[in-house]
Amino acid sequence: MRALLGKKAFLVLLFGTLLLLPFGANKYYVFAANLVMLYIILALGLNLLIGFAGQLAFANAAMYGIGAYGTGLLMKHFALPYWLSAPAGVVIAMAAGTLLALPALRLSGIYLALTTLAFAQFTFWVMTHWTSVTFGAGGFVPPPIDFAPLPINQEQGIYYLSWVAALLLYIVAKNAMESPIGRAFVAIRDRDVAAQSLGVDLFRYKALAFAMSGFYAGVAGALYCGMLGFVGPESFDLLQMVMHKGAVVLGGMGSVLGAVIGGTLLTVILELVKEFKFSIEIAFGGLLMLFVLFQPTGLVVFVKRWLPGWEERLHHAEDDGAERAPVAADGESRPQTQAGD
Amino acid sequence: MEMFSYLLATGISTGALYALVALGIVVIYKATEVVNFAHGEMFMLGGFLAYTFHVMLGWPYVLSLILAVLAAFGLGILVDRIAFRPLMQRQSLVSVLLAMVGLSFVLKGVARHLWGGKGDYIPFPPLVSPEPIMFGGIMVMSQQLVVLGAAAVVMIVFALFFKLTRAGRFMQATADNPKAAKLVGLRIDRVYMYTFGVGSAVAAAAAVLMAPLTLLYPDIGFMLFIKGFAAAVLGGLTSIVGAVVGGFLIGIIEQLSAGYIHTSMQEVAAFIVIMVVMVLIPTGLFGRRGMRRV
Repeated sequence: MRALLGKKAFLVLLFGTLLLLPFGANKYYVFAANLVMLYIILALGLNLLIGFAGQLAFANAAMYGIGAYGTGLLMKHFALPYWLSAPAGVVIAMAAGTLLALPALRLSGIYLALTTLAFAQFTFWVMTHWTSVTFGAGGFVPPPIDFAPLPINQEQGIYYLSWVAALLLYIVAKNAMESPIGRAFVAIRDRDVAAQSLGVDLFRYKALAFAMSGFYAGVAGALYCGMLGFVGPESFDLLQMVMHKGAVVLGGMGSVLGAVIGGTLLTVILELVKEFKFSIEIAFGGLLMLFVLFQPTGLVVFVKRWLPGWEERLHHAEDDGAERAPVAADGESRPQTQAGD
Repeated sequence: MEMFSYLLATGISTGALYALVALGIVVIYKATEVVNFAHGEMFMLGGFLAYTFHVMLGWPYVLSLILAVLAAFGLGILVDRIAFRPLMQRQSLVSVLLAMVGLSFVLKGVARHLWGGKGDYIPFPPLVSPEPIMFGGIMVMSQQLVVLGAAAVVMIVFALFFKLTRAGRFMQATADNPKAAKLVGLRIDRVYMYTFGVGSAVAAAAAVLMAPLTLLYPDIGFMLFIKGFAAAVLGGLTSIVGAVVGGFLIGIIEQLSAGYIHTSMQEVAAFIVIMVVMVLIPTGLFGRRGMRRV
């Protein structure tokens, strides 16, 4: 029973369903399932940065866009094959992500948030205005991707590539966060000066957190380019950023499983909202706000409470601030949180 | 030279607007150490409310202005009660910012629902005749002069409010030292609440002033928020004088880079200023060098 309800069973079920889905479902569901995998990757990457390392950056959608543009433009301008341009796009996104670690070393909190926001808006501006390279606001269609000699078309090829990427990146995130890297991230999040005095190299780990999230977003971007067969700037705007944040908060900040849940739910909610012609802005803005206010540790906490075998080493499972020590509102005494339950 | 003086004049009048937006951001930041992410939405909603009162309902201009400013004061209090007060007790800055971002998108979505979608730009009738006037050889839109004059009035009222009124002094005391303010019996929660209200009210005043020049649309809030923030950061984020100076500088930088480099630079100059200032001089021109609290 325990094994049937545990997180392993859930993951096997999720990835098993995703693996077999193209054999039974229609095109729309296959597309939605592919989107699920992209959002899982994006939520995993953003959660490493926000949930674990505590760096509130607003540039995830920009990294996603850089990955997609990098991949698509290399194919379009230089006729590179996908297997070359996709890794190149990922590397470019990762480099841009690492670049953001530079301000993160000097800035924190609000300053970092707004600097990365300015960077994201700058990237968006380049996508819309550097027409000779990026084809401007109208976007562009990258050349079709050939998976020969494999007997699959572009749609199937990208689908299974996304499946492999999502699974691998989940395993990487899970193992990294259970290793000293994860503990260093959490230490930086909870009190960076204390972490430094305990010997955590702030420069190294902040740069690593930004590079990893840039890498994850870049992979999702490269896959997005192949999945949609179209790249345009409006896919990478602020709303997209809010959706990624929503996925992370919905699932559970600082939980790798939470990111998987959040990424999956994000896609479901997005499709429902589109189906009923509701405002995406209100839906995701509202979800983000309500979860931060009333369920800041995300949905994964419910699962953890009711089902055995969902423990994660570094995730706090207190459900609200009430359990923490009351603090004066002067900002000087933050509650001490223990790393690891 | 003619082009330069024209750009300078335009830069100063848009700069006055940025200064007003920055003023609201700085007042809230000084007191609460949080940047109100929904500040742009306060601006946008203030403009739309004034439009509703003045154009749709046909009420007099001054009455609409006052009502919009009062409504924005209420909205500011709403931001405090929803996104700031409950989360500050949890002492998590990330939560406060995320809740504000969420709230700002909800407000934007609501505005889009009520006043128009992505491509709708709503004109606002100008207060004065749209004829440009010659001013020592420079052509100036008369509305620009109105904006400049009114912005000066708002700034002066603001300075007097801080110097002369009890509420203004409470806010200053709380900003200077929240712990001491609390010790002498100020209800700092309430001061924070009014600070959010006042900051938003200034944003709405700015919106009503400039609506005739830029048209109104739901996305204008964020655009002005980022420019106001650029101005605030350039001025040091904790200095009222800095916000005003920063606002004028951003306005001028924008116009000059648009005139001499490329027109599209106008949109992006503010982002570049934010990144450069943050990386090179995070305390800005007038900011105080803060001690890092551990």
